[in-house]
Amino acid sequence: MARRIPWARLSVVLVSAVAIALPLVIVIYQAFLDAPFFQPSAKLSLSAFRFVFADEDFHRAVWTNLILAFGMTAIAVPVGSAMAFLMVRTDLPGRSWLEPVIVIPVFVSPMVLGFGYIVAMGPVGFLTLWWQQHLGPIPWDIYSLKSLVVLAGLTHVPMVYLYTSSALRSLASDLEEAALTAGAGTARVALTISLPMVWPAILSSGVLTLFLGFELFGLPLVLGDPQGLLVLPTYLFKLTNKLGVPSYQLMAVVAVVIIAIAFPLVWLQRKLMGATSRFVSVKGKGQASRPLPLGRWRWPATGLMVLWFIPTIAVPLAGVFLRSVVSSWGEGVNLTEVLTLDHFKELFEYPNVVRGIVNTIVLAVVGGGIAVACYAAIGLAAHRWQSRWAKVLDYLVMVPRGMPGLIAGLAFLWVFLFVKPLAPLRPTLFSLWLAYSVVWLAYGMRMVSAALLQVGPELEEAAASAGASSGRIIRDVTLPLVRFGLVGAWLLIFCIFAREYSTGVYLLGPGTEVIGSLIVSLWGSGALDVVAALSVVNILLVAVGMGVALRLGVRLHG
Amino acid sequence: MTKNRTALLLLIGGLCLPATARAAGANPRTAPAVVAAAEKEGQLTVYATTDQVVAGPLVKDFQSLYPKVKVEYNDMNSTEVYNRFVSEAAAGSGSGDLLWSSSMDLQVKLAKEGYAAEYKSPELDQIPAWANWKGLAFGTTYEPIVFVYNKRLLKEEEAPKSHAEMTKLLQTQKDRFKGKVTAYDPERSGVGFLLITQDAKVDPAFDAAAKAYGAVGVKLYTSIGAMLERIQSGEHILGFNIFSSYAAAKQKKDSSLGISFPKDYLLVMSRVAILPKVGKHPNAGKLFLDYLLSARGQEIVAHQAGLGSVRNDVTGEGTAVATNKAFGTAVKPIPVDESLLEYLDQARRLEFLNRWQKALGTK
Repeated sequence: MARRIPWARLSVVLVSAVAIALPLVIVIYQAFLDAPFFQPSAKLSLSAFRFVFADEDFHRAVWTNLILAFGMTAIAVPVGSAMAFLMVRTDLPGRSWLEPVIVIPVFVSPMVLGFGYIVAMGPVGFLTLWWQQHLGPIPWDIYSLKSLVVLAGLTHVPMVYLYTSSALRSLASDLEEAALTAGAGTARVALTISLPMVWPAILSSGVLTLFLGFELFGLPLVLGDPQGLLVLPTYLFKLTNKLGVPSYQLMAVVAVVIIAIAFPLVWLQRKLMGATSRFVSVKGKGQASRPLPLGRWRWPATGLMVLWFIPTIAVPLAGVFLRSVVSSWGEGVNLTEVLTLDHFKELFEYPNVVRGIVNTIVLAVVGGGIAVACYAAIGLAAHRWQSRWAKVLDYLVMVPRGMPGLIAGLAFLWVFLFVKPLAPLRPTLFSLWLAYSVVWLAYGMRMVSAALLQVGPELEEAAASAGASSGRIIRDVTLPLVRFGLVGAWLLIFCIFAREYSTGVYLLGPGTEVIGSLIVSLWGSGALDVVAALSVVNILLVAVGMGVALRLGVRLHG
Repeated sequence: MTKNRTALLLLIGGLCLPATARAAGANPRTAPAVVAAAEKEGQLTVYATTDQVVAGPLVKDFQSLYPKVKVEYNDMNSTEVYNRFVSEAAAGSGSGDLLWSSSMDLQVKLAKEGYAAEYKSPELDQIPAWANWKGLAFGTTYEPIVFVYNKRLLKEEEAPKSHAEMTKLLQTQKDRFKGKVTAYDPERSGVGFLLITQDAKVDPAFDAAAKAYGAVGVKLYTSIGAMLERIQSGEHILGFNIFSSYAAAKQKKDSSLGISFPKDYLLVMSRVAILPKVGKHPNAGKLFLDYLLSARGQEIVAHQAGLGSVRNDVTGEGTAVATNKAFGTAVKPIPVDESLLEYLDQARRLEFLNRWQKALGTK
C-alpha cells in the first residue's frame, strides 16, 4: 500500500482527543491549585495532595476499595464468562428469554438496587423477617463489606457476560466441532477452546470490572451508609461536605488518584494480551455455529443460572416492586393492610416525569446509536493501523472511565461554560449526550474493538488486492462482519444511558431532565416511595426497549 | 400566549378564588415599576433545593398572579445549587435569578462574598429580624427541627419530649436503643453539620447528649430519605435533628411515624433566598421574592407546601405565630447572619468534628 498521510484516521484521533482531553485537563489542573480554577486568587500548589494523602479516611477508602475491586472482579469474571459460554455455545434450556433477564442489573440504577436489597434483606427486610421466623438468626449482614463485595460482584456479571458473549457469538465453530469429533466433552471444549479463543474479550471485561470497582458509587453509598464504609468515590462525595464548601481541588485530587490507578491497569491489560493477532478467529471460511450438547450437565447448568439469578435480580427487584406498592413496611407491619397504588398516581403529579421519560428514551435510543457510531468510527480509525497514534488512541479512550461520573459531570459543566463556542449547546440534550458518550467511551470501545479484533486480515487484504478503496473495505467487508458486535454495543450503551444518573446532574435543566437524575433528586428529599415507583416504570420501560431490540437483533442473526 | 387567553386565565383564576375555602392572604406589595419591568423581562429562573412537587402550588399561584413572567424552576441538591451557581457566575454566562436553598450557611456565604443584590422588599415589615440579613439574604420558611419515632416500637408517652429526656431515655435503656437511633452525619452532610453545631451552641448539656448518642451507636446518614425510611420500617426506632416539614409529609402517607417537638429548645431552620447580581432577570427575581414573602405566598408556604410560614401575620397550623405561642422562649430560630459562617473556616470545622467524634466515642 502506498504511504499516504491518513487524514481520515488522524482527524478521528484529533476529535476524540479534544473531547476527552478538555474535561480531563480541567480536572488535573484543578488538582494542582489551592482554590477553584476560575477564581483569580487560585495559585499553583500541592496543598490539596497533602491534605488528601494525610487524611486517614483516604487511607481507609483506598484499602476498602482495593478489596472491593479485586473481590468483585474475582466473582464477576468466572461467573460471567461461564454464563456467556452456556448461553451462546450450548443448548441450555430457556436461552432465548434468559438473555434480556441477565442484563437487568446493567440498566437498573445501583442506588435503586441497593435500596431493593435493604427492603428485602436489610435488618427488617421481608426476607430477613421470614428467615428469622422460620430458620433462626440470619447469616448475613447486608451492610458489611463482605456483602458489598458479593453483591457488587454478582451485579457486574452482566458486564463480563456482554463482552464475552458478543465475542463468542462471532466465533466460528469449526474448532469446537473438531474437538467434539475428537471426543472432547463440552466442558473441555469450553475450557480449552472456546473461552481461550475469546481471551481478549474476557481480559478486557475483567480489567473494566476492576475499573468499575474504583468508581462504584451507588451501591457503596446506599449499603455502606450506616457503617460509614468508604471507597474512593464515596470518599470524594464526603469531601464535598467535610469542609463545608465544596473543595474542587480535593475532589480533583481523588479523581487524579483514580485515573492514576486506571493507567497501570490499561498497561497490564496490554501486556497480558500480547500480540493481538493471536486472537483472530473470524476467518474467511467461517460458518454458522451449532450449539454444543450439555447432556447430563443440562440441569446443573440451569441451576447455576438460577443460583445467580435469585440474589442478583429476584431479591432486589422484589424489594423495589414491593416498596412501590406499600405505604409502610418492616417490623410489625402486615403487608396486606398497607397495599396501595398511590405512589404511581403521585408520580404523575410530577410535571417533569413524563418529560424525563421521553428524554431518557431519546437519549438512550438515538443518543446511544450515535454514540456507538462514533465509537465505531474511532475503532475503525485505529483498526490495523500500525502507527504510534493508534496506541495513543488506545490509551486515550480508557482515560475518561477513571473519572467518577459526578466529577466528569462537573468537568463538563465547566467545559460548556468556559469554552465559549460550546456555550449555546449547554441547555440542550447535546451536552448530556456528549458527557455520557465520553464517560462511557471505554465500555463502548472495548465492545467495538473486541469485535474488530476478530475480523481476519486476509478478508480485508483480499478486498484491497481486488482494488477496493479503504472506505469501501470498511463498508463492504469490515462493518458487515462486526454488525453483531455493534448491535450488542448499542444495546449495552442503551441500557447504560437509560440508567445513568451521576454524570448529568450539572447539565440538566427544565426540558432536559432524565429519569436517573429525577431518582437522585427525589432520593435526597426523602420520597423513597416515589423513587420506587419511578424505578419500576424505568425498569419496565427499558425491559420493553430491550425486548424490541433483541427481537430485531435476533432477526439480524438469521 | 395571546392577550385573550391571558384574560381568560385571569377570569378563571378570579372565579376560582372565592370558591376555595381558605381566604387568600394579601397580595404582594411589589412596586408597580418592578412589576412592569419584570413582566417586560418575561422570564424567571429559580435554582432551588425544594422539590418541584412541594413548590408546585407556589409556582402555580405565582403564575396565576403574573402570567407574563414564565417561571423556570430547577430543583437540585444544595451542593449542586452552589457549584452550579459559582461556576456560572465565574464564566459570566448568567445564572439563576433567585437561589432558594436549605443550605443556610452557603447562601449567607454567597451574600457575604458579594454575589447577592441588595433589595428592600416591601414585605420585610412582617418578616422577623433574624430572617433578614442586611437586605441580602432572606429566611423564607419556618421549619422546626424535631424528633421522629416509629409508633409501633415506641409508644407516644415513651417518646422524648425534650433533648434532656432524649438523653435520659438513651442512658437508661441502652440495650433497647443500641443501633436504633439515627441522625444526619455532620461529616458528610452540610445540613447535619449546621444542626449539630446549633445544638452545641444552644444546649448546655450537649456533650452529655453526644455521649449518650455514641453509647447507643447512633447511625449517621447523608440523606433524610434514608433516615425516614429506616424509621418507618423499624430498622431504627428514633431519629433526631429532622426537619418537621419532611417528617409531616411522610406522616401523611404512613401513620406509623410519630413526631415529637422538643420542649426545652426547638431549633427552627429557614430556607434562605438570595437574588444573585448576575441573574439576567433581576426584576423577575425581586417579584418572586416579594411573592414568596407576601401574606399570599406564605399562606401557601404554610398550608399547601407544608414548609411553615415565617411571617408575623400568617396564622394557623405550621406557622411561626402558632409555634411561638406553643413553645414560647424555647423556640430558637437559626439566625440568617454571619454566625453561620463560623464553621466554614476549615480549621474550626475540623476542630468541631473532632470534638463531636470524641464525644461519640468513635475517635
